[in-house]
Order: sequence, then structure tokens, then C-alpha cells
Amino acid sequence: MVGIKYPFILSGMSWISVPKMVAAVANAGGLGILATGPMNAAQTREAIREIRSMTDKPFGANASLMFPGAAENAKVLLEEKVPVINFALGKGDWIVKEAHKYGGKVFATVVNVKHAKRAQDFGTDAVIATGQEAAAHGEEVTSLVLIPHLAENLKIPVIAAGGFADGRGIAAALALGAEGIAMGTRLMTTKESPLHDNFKKLTLEKDVYDTLFSKRFDGILCRVMKTDAAQKAIKKGLNWPAAFFNSQDIAKQLNLPYIKLFLGVLASGYSNSKQLAYLANAFKAIRVATENGDFKEGVLPVGQVQGLIHDIPTVAELFERIAKETKAAQAKVNAALD
Amino acid sequence: MFGVKYPVICGAMMWLCKPAMCAAVSNAGGIGNLTAANYETEDDFRAAIQETRRLTDKPFFVAITLLPSVRITSEHHKMYVKVCAEERVAGIEFSGTPLDKAAGMEAVELLKKAGVKMFHKVGALRHAQHAEKIGFDGIYAAGIEEGGHPLSDDVTTMVLTPRIAESVKIPVVSVGGIADGRGLAAALSLGAEGVMMASRFIATKECEVHDNIKQELIRRQEFDTVIYGKSIGLQGRGLKSKVLEEVLAIEARNGGFEELIPLLSGQKVKQAWETGDVHYAPLMVGQSIGLIRDIPTCQELLDRMAKEAIEQTQRTAKLCGV
Repeated sequence: MVGIKYPFILSGMSWISVPKMVAAVANAGGLGILATGPMNAAQTREAIREIRSMTDKPFGANASLMFPGAAENAKVLLEEKVPVINFALGKGDWIVKEAHKYGGKVFATVVNVKHAKRAQDFGTDAVIATGQEAAAHGEEVTSLVLIPHLAENLKIPVIAAGGFADGRGIAAALALGAEGIAMGTRLMTTKESPLHDNFKKLTLEKDVYDTLFSKRFDGILCRVMKTDAAQKAIKKGLNWPAAFFNSQDIAKQLNLPYIKLFLGVLASGYSNSKQLAYLANAFKAIRVATENGDFKEGVLPVGQVQGLIHDIPTVAELFERIAKETKAAQAKVNAALD
Repeated sequence: MFGVKYPVICGAMMWLCKPAMCAAVSNAGGIGNLTAANYETEDDFRAAIQETRRLTDKPFFVAITLLPSVRITSEHHKMYVKVCAEERVAGIEFSGTPLDKAAGMEAVELLKKAGVKMFHKVGALRHAQHAEKIGFDGIYAAGIEEGGHPLSDDVTTMVLTPRIAESVKIPVVSVGGIADGRGLAAALSLGAEGVMMASRFIATKECEVHDNIKQELIRRQEFDTVIYGKSIGLQGRGLKSKVLEEVLAIEARNGGFEELIPLLSGQKVKQAWETGDVHYAPLMVGQSIGLIRDIPTCQELLDRMAKEAIEQTQRTAKLCGV
């Protein structure tokens, strides 16, 4: 649909899916999604131009509509005619309308049939279905059940996310009715990934059950790597004073006057303020994990699939291997049922 | 691998997996299930095995849950093992406590000598490795989506199946989240040698359960199940219902075991299956109910699954760019 060699997508992960990583995935034959969450409009524009200087292949960018500044970033993506825009945590009908004018495609990240159908109704080109096992924001339903249910209820393609790291998983996803897969945890553990070495190594040690799935990290159900820091953060729940300081960092990063961000957040009501306060703290914890490899304060969203990751290949090596494994897995299914 | 036409095994279901249902699955080319806890005496249990044999000449498995309950004691567990060995049943689905810990290594030896294949249903890699070590023949890897008691570290089938398959040498069967040919193809892709389903088999013509229950499984979707029992250390997944709402409310205010027991009684489940009242007792079904659309015969179901699994795999073979 978007002219790529492999139906493999790099999920848009803050501080991981940066221009260099997006270009590495594109050049290896997949589709990279730039994470715009931690960027302001000017930085987003700069990042897109940087990607274009490193690859002539198609790429995407995300817009997590719950984050402050996301709408402004999405406008930049539209102005820059980014080939694929992936929106999440909000209604992206206006993005679809604008992107289709220049032939862009829009993917919606969804966790259930209801949201997926709504996205389809306003013209979204594909959905990324997040199963419970995924890093960060899945819900209760797992990939094995969610993918076939979406595939039979939608006319647009389903891209499976959550639980995929190798050819066995991709063959499974395709059998369930998906047309592609998105990988976060697997791709953040590659040579080109900017994830700090400390966490790349830790991912290799952690098993399938070494994750925590809780609402007490960033305010919505979120899966993170089980570490002392993550356990502490979840036990503590929302820390308002920390949110006050961390949100000042965010204002700086987004190039917003703090008072504007602060009043804007307050005006959005208590539950939204609480949600944004949660996100401010989570932002900080994820940033120090990915950038500094900080085990003491850092928290890393990962999927259960971390237990299936046993090496740190280049993106190109990984994709070639996965394609081969997929063929082998499919041959096995045919042999078993013949 | 199991010497049957389709690598599809029926999972244990209290009150439902009795001779007629068991034989229907085996006659359809899968492996039927005779759930031992339906029988309290040696004579009744042996008679059920013999009755199943009259109804099918194909292999079927017995299910033995090695967990303490009010009605079924460790004496029952030993009796079941002894009878299975004497009757030389094809295989046993064990769940709960490892067999060597529940009944001693002599139980393992006894079954081995009788040629009874032993499988343990696990939700964690370490439990699979233990079963392999004591000489089991295969592993049922049960993901968190399964109905009943997912004794897992909350790991999903998509991740648990390949993790266990790559770590043990004995065959692995996927359990949890599977109801059709797409799931069968997915499980085989992940490294399983077969699948186990239970909820899907409730909505078949042969299952002896009130028709309301079958219709309810068609109506309900994948988000209509809920995990409960975490507060008493035995999590279960069942159909969302008034009784489970009540259970969760009691758990939320830290009401104890005593308060919960009357709501979770097995006898009430039996009545619910018979009367078709889904709100009367916890009905242990999995997320796969979201994929149930009809009430076929077991034969129709298994034929269709195998056909669909091959079609899906062939259809998608060219999607991966090689």
C-alpha cells in the first residue's frame, strides 16, 4: 500500500524513533514512524528534513493527540506532505482529510473494534491494532484475539502490534488476517537504535514475564519493563510536585511559555490535568531511561516480547532473517495440516 | 504428532467434558476430553472411560486438575492416575500442582510404564521446564486469554508459545485465544504442534449445555470476560456477569475467602450450565468467545478450521517480500 519491501513497521517511540532510526528502517525495506511526542513544531519540521536527507524511501510520523503540542506537530506533518501519518489517542479525522489531498496515507492506532470502525468511517487507510502484550498502551484483549476480530470487521488493512519480534510471530499475525506488523521492542534492540546500551543489554536478560502493566505509571494502562525504578514509580502513583517540575521541562522542550502550558492544562479540568501530570512524570522517566540508561529513575516501556529477543542485529539483518523465518513457519503450518 | 487427523485438542471443562462430548471431538478427528473431576468414585470414573470407548475407537485424553478442592481430594487424584494407568488411556492433561509434587514420582513412573502420554498445562516457562525434567511428553502452554485458571505470569499466547517452544525439546500445544483456523495457523506458526480449545467447543451441537449458553457465547465479544480471584491467589477468567461483578466488588473491599466461596461453588456452575442462566455462577470462558459466530457440529468445526488454516497461510505466503 505504501510501497515498501517488507510489511514491517517501526512503531513511533519517543526518543527511539528519531530521524536516524526511521531512515535505517526505511533503507532496510520497512516503514519507520518518526515519534513527534517530545518535539515542538520547528523540531518536527527539522526532523522530517533530516530523514529526507538520509533516505528517499517512504516513511511515516506519529501524532499522539493526547500530548500537548500534538496538533501543531500534525499540521507540520501535513505541510511537509509526510507519506504516512499515524495518529493515536484522539480523533484524527481532520488529519485524514488533509493528508488525502496530497496522496498521503493515515494509520490509526486502536485497541478495539469500536475505535477502529470509527477511524475507518472517517477515511483512515489502515489501523495499527495494539494487543495487551504490547509495550505501553494496550488494553485487556490480546493480539491473538484482537487481530482476527478487527480483520473480519474492517475493510481497511490491519497492522498487528504487540507480541511480534520474529518470523514465527509475523507468520502468526498474517494467518490471523493482518497485512503487516509494527515492532517497537524488537527494533529498539538493534545496532542502529538510539536506546541506551544499558537497556539494550537489560532487554536481552529480561524474560516474557518481566513486565508491569498498570494505570499508575502514566495514568492509562501502560506496560513497562519490570525494574526496581518501575516498581517504585507504580507503587508511588502520581507525584504532583514532580509533575510540576517535569512539566516545566516539557514547556522548555516544546518551546512554550510555561505559564501558557500550565494555565492551559488547568483550564482543561481536573481529570485531564491529572492525566497530563502523569504524562509529564512518565515523559521524564522514559527519557532518562532511553537517553541516559538511568536504572535509578528511568522507566522503559517494553512489550512481553522482550523475552523472545536474544541478540542485537542491524535492522537490515533483522528484516532479512524475519522474512526467512516467516517462510519456514508457513511451510510448517502447511506440513502439519497436509 | 498425536496420531489423529487434526492437531486440535479439547481442553478440560468441568460438567461438560463427559463421554458423549469427548467421543464427538475424537470422532471428528481431534482429541476429546474426559474431565476426571466429574466422577467421585473409582467405579463411576472407570465406567465413564469405558462408555467413551464404546462411543469412539479413536484416542481421547483424560483431564486431571491437581488442585485441592472441597469435593476432590488428593486421594481422588491418586485414584484417577491409577485407573488411567490400568485402563491405558491415550493421554492425560494435568494442570495445577506438578504431578511429582502432588502424587510422587511413582505416579509418573506408573503412567510411563502403562504408556499413557502425560501433558502439563502451564502458564510459565519454569513450569514447562519442570514437566520436561520429570519426563512429561508435552506441554500445554496456556496464555492469559484462556478461560478457567490462567496460572500464568500474565503472558499472552502470542509470546508464551514461542518462548516455551524454543526452550523445551518436547512438543508444545497452544492454549488460550484460539477458536478458528486462523488461530490454529497462528499457533502452528509460533512453534506449537497443535492447539487446545475449550470455549469454542461449548458452542457446538454436541455440547450438552443449555442453548442459552451457546447463544450467549455468540452474542458476547472478546472484551466480555474478566479476571477475578487475584485476591485469593487463584486467578480465574470468566464471562462478565452479575455474579462476577459481585465477586470483584467483594475483592475490591478485601472481603475474604469465606465471603467468596458461596459465589464460586462448583455446584452452582453445574446448575448454570443446565438452566442457561449466565448470571448465576462464574462461567469460565476465554477471550476467544469474541470469535465464536455459530453452533456447528464438532466435525464441521474441525474440518473448517483445518481448511481455513491452510487457506490463510497460502493466501499470506507472498506478503512477506521473499
